[in-house]
This record gives sequence, C-alpha cells and structure tokens, in this order.
Amino acid sequence: MSSTDSSTPALRLDGIRITFHAGTPNERVALDDLGLVVNQRDFVVVIGSNGAGKSTMLNVIAGALTPDSGQVELDGRNVTQLAVHRRAAYIGRVFQDPMLGTAPALSIEENLALAGRRGQRRGFGLALNAVNRKRFAEILAPFGLGLDTRMRVLAGKLSGGQRQVLALLMASLRKPRLLLLDEHTAALDPGTAEQVMQATRRIVEEDELTALMITHNMQQAIDFGNRLLAMNAGRVRLDLAGQAKRDVTVDDLVQRFAGAADHQLLHA
Amino acid sequence: MDILTLFWNLVPVTLVQGLIYSLIALAIMIPFRVLSVPDLSSEGVFPLGAAVTAALLTVGAHPLVATLASVAAGFLAGMATALIHLKFKVHSLLAGILTVTMLWSVNLRILGKPNAPLFGFETLYDWVSRAIFPSLALQILFFGVLAVTLILALWWLLQTDLGLGLRGIGANPHLAPALGVSLVAYTAGGLGLASGISGLAGSLMAQLQGYADVGMGVGMLVNGLASVIIGEAITGRGTLLRQISAPVVGAVVYYQLSSLALALGLNPSDLKLVTGLFVLLTIGWPYLVGRKVTGTGL
Repeated sequence: MSSTDSSTPALRLDGIRITFHAGTPNERVALDDLGLVVNQRDFVVVIGSNGAGKSTMLNVIAGALTPDSGQVELDGRNVTQLAVHRRAAYIGRVFQDPMLGTAPALSIEENLALAGRRGQRRGFGLALNAVNRKRFAEILAPFGLGLDTRMRVLAGKLSGGQRQVLALLMASLRKPRLLLLDEHTAALDPGTAEQVMQATRRIVEEDELTALMITHNMQQAIDFGNRLLAMNAGRVRLDLAGQAKRDVTVDDLVQRFAGAADHQLLHA
Repeated sequence: MDILTLFWNLVPVTLVQGLIYSLIALAIMIPFRVLSVPDLSSEGVFPLGAAVTAALLTVGAHPLVATLASVAAGFLAGMATALIHLKFKVHSLLAGILTVTMLWSVNLRILGKPNAPLFGFETLYDWVSRAIFPSLALQILFFGVLAVTLILALWWLLQTDLGLGLRGIGANPHLAPALGVSLVAYTAGGLGLASGISGLAGSLMAQLQGYADVGMGVGMLVNGLASVIIGEAITGRGTLLRQISAPVVGAVVYYQLSSLALALGLNPSDLKLVTGLFVLLTIGWPYLVGRKVTGTGL
C-alpha cells in the first residue's frame, strides 16, 4: 500500500444512518447521523452500552453493512458501496469470537498465507514456500506462545488466546490502513486478555497502525489509545483526546456512563 | 465358488467403472469437504457431460473438443448452482436440486431425444490410441492415470494462493471476505471446478459405453457419497493428499463391493436401497452410539 498524505484522514464517516427492521414495530435506529473523523496513526477506543451502535459502526466501516444514507471514506476514498472483500485491501479486522478470526481447518502457516494476500490478486503460485514460512515463524516468535515451532498445527487446535493473537497477526500481516478490533478480548479470561492486549499494543506501535478498538473493559479504555469515544443511541456522545484522554479515570467513565444524561456526557 | 469366480471375472470391468465414477466422487468431495457448501449438481451434470459430447460427436466435432466442451458445460452448471445459492439465498442443496431438475430439460434439448447412440464415431480413446477401446487392461491404465493426474492436479491447486482461498471460504466463510476473498467468485469457481469434473466423467462414460442417456445420472450422487465415506474411512482425512485421494480409493472399493454383493445374489434393483442405508448408517453411527452430539454427519 502506498503511503498516503498524513493529513488525509484514515477514516471519515459522514451522516451515517442505519435503521434496522424499518417499517416494522421493531424499527430501531442503530446509527443516527453518525459522523467521525479518525486521523492517521490514531488509536481510537470506543466504549458504550449494548445497542449503542458500536458494532454496527464497525460493520459499516468494514462493509458488512451498507448504510441507508451517508458516506464512508477510507484514506480519502469513498468506499460506501464497496463489498467487504474489496474493502479488505484497506482493513484488517479481529472479531470478538476467537472462532471467527482464524480458519480452524487450516494450519497456522496456511492461515498466515491466506491473510498474507489480503487485498492482492491470488494466483497459481504456491501459497507457502521456504521464504514466507521462515518469515511467518519469525513474526510469531516474539509473542512467546511457542507457535513458531508448531506452524503446521491446525488453528482449530489452538486456545482462544492463541487464536486471537494469530488473528491479530493475520489482520496486520499486510499493513492495513485501518485495524478494526471488535471486543477482541471479551471472550478471554483476564490473564489471556492481558496477553492479547500486550500483543495488540506491540503490533499497533511497531507497525504504526491506525486502529479502532471497541471494548467493554473500562480499564482497557483508559490504558490504551490516544482517543476515547463513548457512543450512545447511534451517536458519538463523548470524544476525549490528548490530555483529556490521559487524565480520565475509570471512576470518571463509570460515573458519566452510569447516571449521566446525554447532555452531561457532551459537556464533559 | 461359482459366485466368487463370477465376481473375480468382473473385477477388471468393475475397476474401469469404479475409476470413471471416482471422478464423480471427487466432484462430490470438493463442495462437501473443501468449500463446505454441499452440492448435488453432479446428478444432472453427469448426463449433461454425456449429452454435450454426444451432440458434438454426432455433428462431427473432434473428440477432444467434445470432451472439453463437456467440462466447460459442467463448469457453467456448477457456477449456476453457486449463483442460485448465493444470489437468490437458496440453500445449496436446494440450489443443486433446482439445477439438476432444469438440466433434465436442457439435456433432452441437447440430445434431441432421451438416448443417442455413438457407435461408429471416433472417441477420445480412439484419438489417444486405437488399442484402448478393445483392451480392458489399457482402459484401466487410462483411467488410472487420469485419476492419479486429477488427484495430483487438485493437490497442487489447493496449495496455491487461489486454492488456499477456496479452502479459506470453506474453513471460515466470515473470515475469508475480510481477507479479500470474494465469497461469490470463489464459491462459483469451486462448484464450477467440481461440476467440470462431473461433466468430464459423463463425457468419458458416454464415449466408453457408446451412448448417452438422459437417465444416466440417476443414483450417481448416493454412490458418490458412499465412495467418499468409504474412501475417508480407508485413507483418513489427516492431510490434504489423503482427503483428495479418498474419493478415488473409495469409488474403486465401493464398486467392487457392490459387484460382490450382486454376485452374492443381491437383486440389482435393491442396490440403491442398500447403498442409501449404508450411507445413512455411516453418517448416523457416531450419533447413534453417542460419540458425537453436535454438527452434521457429513
């Protein structure tokens, strides 16, 4: 991927509106005129209660959902109508469910080879060769999971944490313009979640990635990222960056979330 | 002992039959095991391959052209099933049944009649060598080489970037698009590939037996499934090569077993019932004895 002018936002959402079950009694506005600009190399953490629209937003960015109206721009290019597999050239994504982020019936090295051609043409060249096998092992080695010596083990045999680290590496193997992390530690025990978050930090920092991470874990929201968004009812209600983000505490967040009405959030 | 002599004498003929039908078993394995999109199209694509070859041979086409045209027709039929499945959101099994049903009419149109004889026309076998047709040994060699070539070609293909994409959509249809693999293009290509092989089998069968018949696909599917199951029991599924070899090994064994059953006095018209029960029992066995509680048998 060619480097883009650092002044062009990595992501721009403009007037995104999505209504589920439109025209039925279950009609629900999931995203309500949502606007968001994410700058290059931002690490944005998104919090919000269930149904706030976080996952819907990620699905709109990834292309799994097409908005009823509004525009999605990646690196200045309008991708609103682009299908998931076409948009994959820009986006690496890790899902909440460790089962979803890897292909269980393929080996570790096959998973990496599959991910290694994200956004590229796939031809009749052998997917694995001595060169990329060595490279994949070198990429896995620093994460201390012992996977680099078990490259031919099926991904389905790995633990949830190992799978999430593998999924992270797959999402970032070809440097994405935007890394989407959809509560990717929510299904893990705290110790494993901590390991996966360390791996996340390492990858985002070393590869200088722009990332958007959804989490329900307030401590993660404090510890990670340079910008914090709180969503509610399909909109961004709180947007902290810089010093404000650094100063915020778990208590702050819990308080603002627990009792606060929308306007209080806005005027934080 | 007469019975076993009868079976023994039929072994070479049955081997040829088993090797041809091993292509169908391969074509069934690809959707079921590689793509995880179970597909029944073979039942209609097999006679389609026969019909296309018959129609082209009778108008004087070169046998190689006729055979390749059958492969291409099969490929298109497989793609049609995939597109029905993905674009009209029809379950892949139902999409296959629709394709088979529609192909019945198409096959009759192509043949112009239910049954077309091909005696006197030069076949692919004659083109390769005039010695093949009269010699069972050479037929076994021909189909044996063909089956092994197909196994090796598939083995290679599934290890390329393209093939890994095919296995990727089978292994995780949510993940593959996120990695840039188009679900529609790859499913269509994969089912097309499988049906292309079915079309080839139909073409080769018609040229060997000297006629094409719209009814010649009936029961192919269950025989193919039985072959895949038997083959996987023998070779296992531990490696890609074992998985790809399984249908061929299974088809060879299955057709010998059914020949043995017939020699032992099984009424030929009961064979489909017995095969169906065999498939059911093998699929259901792990559930019946409680070793498996989730997922589907196949």
